[in-house]
Amino acid sequence: MNAHLEISNLVKKFGGLTATNNMSFDVARGESVGLIGPNGAGKTTVFSLIMGEHRQNSGSISFDGTELTTLPTHQRINRGISRTYQVPRPFSEMDVRGNIRVGLMPNSIWQMLTKRYDPDRELELALSVGFAESDLDKAPSELSMGDLRKLELARTLATNPEMILLDEVFAGLTVGEIAQITDLLQQKREAGMSMVIVSHDLRSLQPLIDRAVAITYGSVVAEGKYDDVIADEAVRSAYLGL
Amino acid sequence: MISKPLLRSLIIWAIFIIGMLLLPKIFALLGFSKGNLRTLIQACYLAIFAMSWDFISGRTGYISFGHPFLVGIGAYTTAILSYRFDVPVMYSIPIAVIVTMIGGTLFFLPALRIKGSYFALVTLAFMELMYQLVQVIRPDLTGGTRGISGIETLTRGAVNGYYLAVSLMLVIAFVLWAILKTRIGTALSAIAMNEESVKGSGLSTTKLKLFAFMVSACVAGIGGAFLAHYNGSIAPRALFDINFLFTIIVAALIGGSSTIIGPMIGAFFLTLLLEKLRPWLPGAERYFVYGGIALLLYMYQPKGLYAIFWQVVDRFRTRRGGQS
Amino acid sequence: MFQILIQGLLLSGLYALIAVGFTLIFSVGRVLNLAYGVSLMVGGYTFFYTAQVLEMPKLVGVLLAIVVGAVFGLLKYRLLVKPLKGDHVAIEISTLILAVVIQAGIILVFGDATKILHSIIDGVWQFGTVSITANNVAAALGSWVLILGLYAFIKKTHIGRAMQAVSMDQKGAAISGVEPDKVNAATWVISGALGAAAGVFFASYTQLSPSMWVAPLIIAVAIVIVGGIGSIIGTLIVAHIIGFMEIITTTLFAAELRGVFTMILIIAVLVIRPRGLFGREEL
Repeated sequence: MNAHLEISNLVKKFGGLTATNNMSFDVARGESVGLIGPNGAGKTTVFSLIMGEHRQNSGSISFDGTELTTLPTHQRINRGISRTYQVPRPFSEMDVRGNIRVGLMPNSIWQMLTKRYDPDRELELALSVGFAESDLDKAPSELSMGDLRKLELARTLATNPEMILLDEVFAGLTVGEIAQITDLLQQKREAGMSMVIVSHDLRSLQPLIDRAVAITYGSVVAEGKYDDVIADEAVRSAYLGL
Repeated sequence: MISKPLLRSLIIWAIFIIGMLLLPKIFALLGFSKGNLRTLIQACYLAIFAMSWDFISGRTGYISFGHPFLVGIGAYTTAILSYRFDVPVMYSIPIAVIVTMIGGTLFFLPALRIKGSYFALVTLAFMELMYQLVQVIRPDLTGGTRGISGIETLTRGAVNGYYLAVSLMLVIAFVLWAILKTRIGTALSAIAMNEESVKGSGLSTTKLKLFAFMVSACVAGIGGAFLAHYNGSIAPRALFDINFLFTIIVAALIGGSSTIIGPMIGAFFLTLLLEKLRPWLPGAERYFVYGGIALLLYMYQPKGLYAIFWQVVDRFRTRRGGQS
Repeated sequence: MFQILIQGLLLSGLYALIAVGFTLIFSVGRVLNLAYGVSLMVGGYTFFYTAQVLEMPKLVGVLLAIVVGAVFGLLKYRLLVKPLKGDHVAIEISTLILAVVIQAGIILVFGDATKILHSIIDGVWQFGTVSITANNVAAALGSWVLILGLYAFIKKTHIGRAMQAVSMDQKGAAISGVEPDKVNAATWVISGALGAAAGVFFASYTQLSPSMWVAPLIIAVAIVIVGGIGSIIGTLIVAHIIGFMEIITTTLFAAELRGVFTMILIIAVLVIRPRGLFGREEL
């Protein structure tokens, strides 16, 4: 197996609640996978387990053949995997530029002390996610939901990831903003970036993914081509209520 | 190759430094007594402790209730070394600073790894427990409940003492300012805003907090050690004390947390205020009035006098702008 | 041995009450109330004033202390915690400042000197070589009555169950129609009342002084760090661990060394199991 990201038999319990139950799936290098399922199915939990924000009770997560389980979050990010959050988490008292600056920082006290930040790189990243140059001085409180998601994306991309995990990227966006983000993600896909995308907006999700993985109650119930997964009996009953 | 804002900051620094160094002369001209100068010396040390506290707590939001603990280690180490073992001050102070950094880290590292509230709890518990310990463990060294007096002093006279304290304060302020000018400053502030997102940017927040804590402990150790050699005496209840902790925190907050100038403003404001209140309110009333003022001010503007000053300036500017 | 067992049980009961009042706010409101020790002091001084200065019946003194403690808790919530909107850092700091202000206030009213509180119940019982004051037994029993009362309150009443729900999941509780404001206010009132009662017991154990708020706060803090938040039973067990540890060090080594073992225990727990021995993992 040469899976880029390999999730196997992941179990995570919060007290009496089982968030992921023997969940397994793989993502190949350069592949884009859509993770679908009803609320509380365990999608966000998998992301936080992959990033090491929580530790699974059992099962393994490996990235490029390296077991991630014992690594802290920042080391996983430095290995090339990064995520966005359903509710954007900007640094509220910093402008757009400052937020991106934190994303670009090296994890080394010495370099932070001795090397200056790179304003050109900050600008480049901001423009690449669709900000205008005049947006750089804006505070997060002045931004729309779409802009906040762009900011989150910029900070995530600033860590130079090979794979990004996107949690509800389209929630709360206008049609125009959805189109903008979709364009950006398509560009990244073409550039070879791997993705796992969680979204309730199936229509926007469909063109962005090579493959869908459906989960309910913390386990994978179907995976394969988007159309096949959506047509699957178990998925329809659990997710679409049909 | 100096940018304009940097040049402006440097000019403000220069004016500030000259002003602080000339203060004794100004005091002499205005006819204040030596006692007033001694008050200023206490204010300088308080400013050092407040800056030290602010470097970790004001920046990262990890509230340390254990700064008296750090100051205490610094003061006790140099006092014991120089008084009991006749170690020259030029060695005992640096050793004290290193001991403070190592000791503080050993005790607080476990708490730095977990969430903010626990850090506050652990530091508070350790400060109080240390107060108990220092009196019973090797009282032949620590002087037990009574502490140590007759410690070698570094300077003679209030004027020299002032110059030493103020130089120390200014050097520390400048170094801290320079550190916070770099990306470290941005990263530390980011921790206070959203620690998860800092981790999510690929940074080890434990490493950053540890760095901030070490710098803070270093400054607290320097302040504690020099203060011991200025006062010539130390006592457990004066160091490991909630009222001392309260004074440090209030100085930082009243002046303006998360700035360099703020804790200094706060320290001088409070020390002078306490001194002015003394004739009318000789005892506990002072803490009552002063704590009450601090609480109201904090509830009104958590960012302190510095922020209030800029609020007023801004209001004034917009009003003038609106008229023209 | 018998002496250690009896004294340990009595002291631990009191510590359990002290810790429960503190951890209640930490688990329901997710904030640290550093003025908690002041609730104990307020309770102790109220009892002193009614029972010893005004010479009213002692029971009236205890009840009045509880009422004053409850009102004090409510005031803290309305005037400090609510305006600060759950900002942890601001609440930690402002409750600390408040504690120092009230300490100064107590000195203004009652003076700096320590005061000896008369026993709530007089008498000494002799068990072989061991003698126990009736007062300490009453304090421990009173503590247990209040703890069990609290437990029943949380399990049986509507507002108690709402408190439990909020402590487990704030957002979820809000969705299911619990009013967080009311629940928080109730928590502060109960914590204040428990603290005040604990203060009367604690002061009758030791003595009354304007700085008496620090020691119980540190005890509560240590118990919360070691036990973790979210479990009353866990808090009770850890209160007994720390209570017994103190009695054992006091009898076998020296009273002043009590703190050392508490410190070692805190560090060990933080290193080995950061969420505390009985704490649950946050969702």
